[in-house]
Amino acid sequence: MNELLQQIFNGLAIGSVYTLVALGLTVVFGILGIAHFAHGSLAMFGGYLTFVFSTTMGLPLFASMALAMPVGAVLGMLIERLAYRPVRDAPHINAFIIALGLTMMLEGGNLLLFGADQVIIQTPYQKVFDLGGIFVAQLRMVVIVTSVTLVAIVTLLLLKTKTGKSVRAVAQNRHAAVLMGVNVNLVSSVVFAISSALGVAAGALIGALLALAPGVGESFAVKGFAVLILGGLGSLPGAILGGLVLGVSESLAAGFLSSAYKDVISFLIMILVLLVMPQGLMGKK
Amino acid sequence: MRIFNKSLLFSVAAVAGALALPHAFKSPYYIHLMTLALIWIVLAQGQNLTQGFVGYVSIAQAGFMGIGAYISTLLTMNYGISVWTTLVIAPLLTGVMAVVAGYPSLRVKGHYFSIVTLAYNMVIFIVLMTFRALTGGEAGIPDVPRPSELTLFGHVFSFEGRSNLNYYALALSVAVLATVFCALVLHSRAGRVMLAIRQNEDLAEAMGVITSRYKLFAFVMSSILAGLAGTLYAHYIGFLNPEPFGVDQSLNIILAVILGGSGTLTGPIVGAVSVTFLPEILRFADSFRLITYGLILVVATIFLPKGLVPLVASLWRWLRASQPIASHNKPTGKA
Amino acid sequence: MKLKTPLTLAALALSAALMPLAHAADEVLVIGVNDALTGGGAVYGLPQANAVQMAADEINATGGIKAGSTNYKLKVITSDDKANPTEATNSVRKLIDRDNVKYLVGFCCSGSTSAVASFMAKEDAVMLVGNAAERTITAQGIPNVFRTRPPADFTGSAAGTFVAQKGARNVAVIGALEVGFYTQYVDAFEKELNKAGGKIVAREAFGLRDRDMTPQLTKIRGLKPDAILVVGYVEPAAFVYRQALELGLNVPRYGFTSGSEEQFLKVVTSAQMEGVWDLRPTELTIEALGPQAKAYDANYRKKFNQSPTPSSPYAYDQVYVLKNAIERAGSAKDAKKVADAVRTLPIPKEAVMKYMPNDGGAIFDQNGQAYTSNGAFQWQKGKWVFVSELPSDNKAYSQFLRSIRK
Repeated sequence: MNELLQQIFNGLAIGSVYTLVALGLTVVFGILGIAHFAHGSLAMFGGYLTFVFSTTMGLPLFASMALAMPVGAVLGMLIERLAYRPVRDAPHINAFIIALGLTMMLEGGNLLLFGADQVIIQTPYQKVFDLGGIFVAQLRMVVIVTSVTLVAIVTLLLLKTKTGKSVRAVAQNRHAAVLMGVNVNLVSSVVFAISSALGVAAGALIGALLALAPGVGESFAVKGFAVLILGGLGSLPGAILGGLVLGVSESLAAGFLSSAYKDVISFLIMILVLLVMPQGLMGKK
Repeated sequence: MRIFNKSLLFSVAAVAGALALPHAFKSPYYIHLMTLALIWIVLAQGQNLTQGFVGYVSIAQAGFMGIGAYISTLLTMNYGISVWTTLVIAPLLTGVMAVVAGYPSLRVKGHYFSIVTLAYNMVIFIVLMTFRALTGGEAGIPDVPRPSELTLFGHVFSFEGRSNLNYYALALSVAVLATVFCALVLHSRAGRVMLAIRQNEDLAEAMGVITSRYKLFAFVMSSILAGLAGTLYAHYIGFLNPEPFGVDQSLNIILAVILGGSGTLTGPIVGAVSVTFLPEILRFADSFRLITYGLILVVATIFLPKGLVPLVASLWRWLRASQPIASHNKPTGKA
Repeated sequence: MKLKTPLTLAALALSAALMPLAHAADEVLVIGVNDALTGGGAVYGLPQANAVQMAADEINATGGIKAGSTNYKLKVITSDDKANPTEATNSVRKLIDRDNVKYLVGFCCSGSTSAVASFMAKEDAVMLVGNAAERTITAQGIPNVFRTRPPADFTGSAAGTFVAQKGARNVAVIGALEVGFYTQYVDAFEKELNKAGGKIVAREAFGLRDRDMTPQLTKIRGLKPDAILVVGYVEPAAFVYRQALELGLNVPRYGFTSGSEEQFLKVVTSAQMEGVWDLRPTELTIEALGPQAKAYDANYRKKFNQSPTPSSPYAYDQVYVLKNAIERAGSAKDAKKVADAVRTLPIPKEAVMKYMPNDGGAIFDQNGQAYTSNGAFQWQKGKWVFVSELPSDNKAYSQFLRSIRK
């Protein structure tokens, strides 16, 4: 029983990071219809940047992250304007191919700027609490709390603010929104800004909890899509639920089935859901 | 059809050129690169069937290449079957696996399909790496045999020994066959249906076409070519491990097809040769190469959605100042 | 490429005329380093390439290689194989065909090295392998392939005996088990552990890219082992050491990871690493080796502004093996003659690593394999400390290696 609870707790921490990544993906996908595969590599960039801020300026994790997030947001807006907007009216597959190209560029850029060695962001949260046989690492708690906070902020932003309303209008019906006077270009930029800021946060948390290295970004992007598909494309609660479910499933599968095939689990889940229940756990239609 | 004749002339010239190539560049190194490029052409022609003709971008081509490579290697090494036989069996078995994978996944469209194929490739890669008992895992399988001697028209062709000229000729023959096959498909009724699906799948369905059959056909044929390329690759390099069959390789194949021109016959050839020789001509460090490839992919999709070959073809027409021949591909801007 | 004939004749005539002016028969011998200079394998490949350059410069400074009547100065060209089998094949093809290299050194990484070894028998060349630990590279018995680094399972059995002596009877293994040579290490380890009445209670795996091993460690914790064995790349292994403590798994930790202090401290604190063992080839352990090692360390630091990695001397020694073999063979033009000379070569006096002599005092055995000693290292107060040698029998292993040749 102890083992089970421990595995679940371990999985929640990594699951909350998956949720953050998926949230960034789902706002872009649900609102703009773009399968923004480069999100993972952008998240890594944000993580690396956070590391640079924390080592060169001696700032703690959250301060560095707060500095890196606006940078990431700007980068995201640039990508939208230069790479995705030109193909906005072309078939969706073109946007996906561009996303693949952007992934390569960002991975190459990260390699050039930050090197191939793994990078770990140091934090002061080193304590471990023994709760009746279940070992709770302070750092994991911090990650969970941070993710929850960010998710809450973004949800409030989208539900309560005027910008949020415009964004949701575009998601529902782009042409109608245009007719209602919504500035679609502005909405696109805002969506990418939010998505990229979230990505940066996810990258920073991964850098603190685990490590940043070449290739990690792609793997997170794929898992992010797995969460999207599991939870239902375009659904916010779906992304939240899906992320936690994926994290915990991976942990349980590695713990009770086979650690060698751990990553296969997420892909198999994704394939199965897509084929059997394409709308996901919470999706509409 | 005038276009067909012009392409035929170009193709014959290209094949003749390819045959003469080893005698111009005597260096075994260039023969080696060209052999790899020819194997890539087979891959790219396959990718073109789904990406260019039907319009479904599969990110699993490298995975199927790996399946073909391993099936052939294991059959020849564990069961003593001749390479000539596995050159036929392995691609066919790869096709069978593609039917199993493709049948359910072709029901989803657009980028959902692409993401599923991405997942397939990742699963294939992880299984190849982890199932050590069967595949040797990351350490790989050494000593993969070359094809046995072939006696044709009284001449003995050996594939062992220092010279790889004969293997080059084998790869060339297979590449030609693959291209001819794709040409036949393109100009057949099935080919026209596939192109119609690419233009507008809903419309094609409304016209009564059972699109699923054609999509599956393209997907399976594409994977058979991938399996063939994999078999050629394994028996050429002589060492097999999962490394060349990851997602990055599938992305390179997509790039090759887009760069050359999807939906054409010469496009994949141009793309495959470019992608093989580009790293040699541009001796960049890994990071620059990734950025360059990515940039090419982005720029090509935005500005040259039909690729280089149609661009060159229209430049050629413009230069000759003749009436532009109506291409059978209406410009939809689809990549 | 056809050269214009009159121009060629003129050039030949000119060089013939100038010949007596050149230094008495001083020729250039090109050696090719094929290694992972970029990408994930560069942590092993780049230091090897550096070591080769340093050895070549040293040899040139002391007069070069005397082969018969010809004196050779060494020229080193490097080629990046990115630790990728296809790249490696291209890279070596280029070295042999385009650059006319007969002597290949370096080879840090198993996958790419195996790909090259598979066609090396056909080539007019000699190949000296370094850090790549995959057993089949020398198990195949290719006449012109030699390796200065011992296969992983040679160290594995020594480690098994050691850990059994320490009293462990239920060992949980967590490692990069998809990689052949790590599993071979564990299998050899298990054999010795079983002999002492112990057993392996778990074999959990992690990949090169994995950083979260808490699921595997939680499972291991439930099995209540009295020791854990961590085999694999330093990057994920460091996380294993940390996460084990985070999960309350407080048993002796043994490993085969070969990482430097810097690499571990990026991930784990020194206090968390305290007491961890590393059971690996002695490699560049100054305390355990001779004055050559001290000199190597000092020279490397001066030349490259960083400390040499533990496995870099494998490549350094390769160059001295070549030098001595070429001098013995009396020629550098006949690769086969040189290969034969390598086969019976006594341990070079310039070698940095400590090699165990094979039959006749030769550095390589009948399989082309050299054996360095194995050691037990322990993390004590922020540094890896050499505690003792692991008893190893290279003659027995050599027979075993010969017996598995197909």
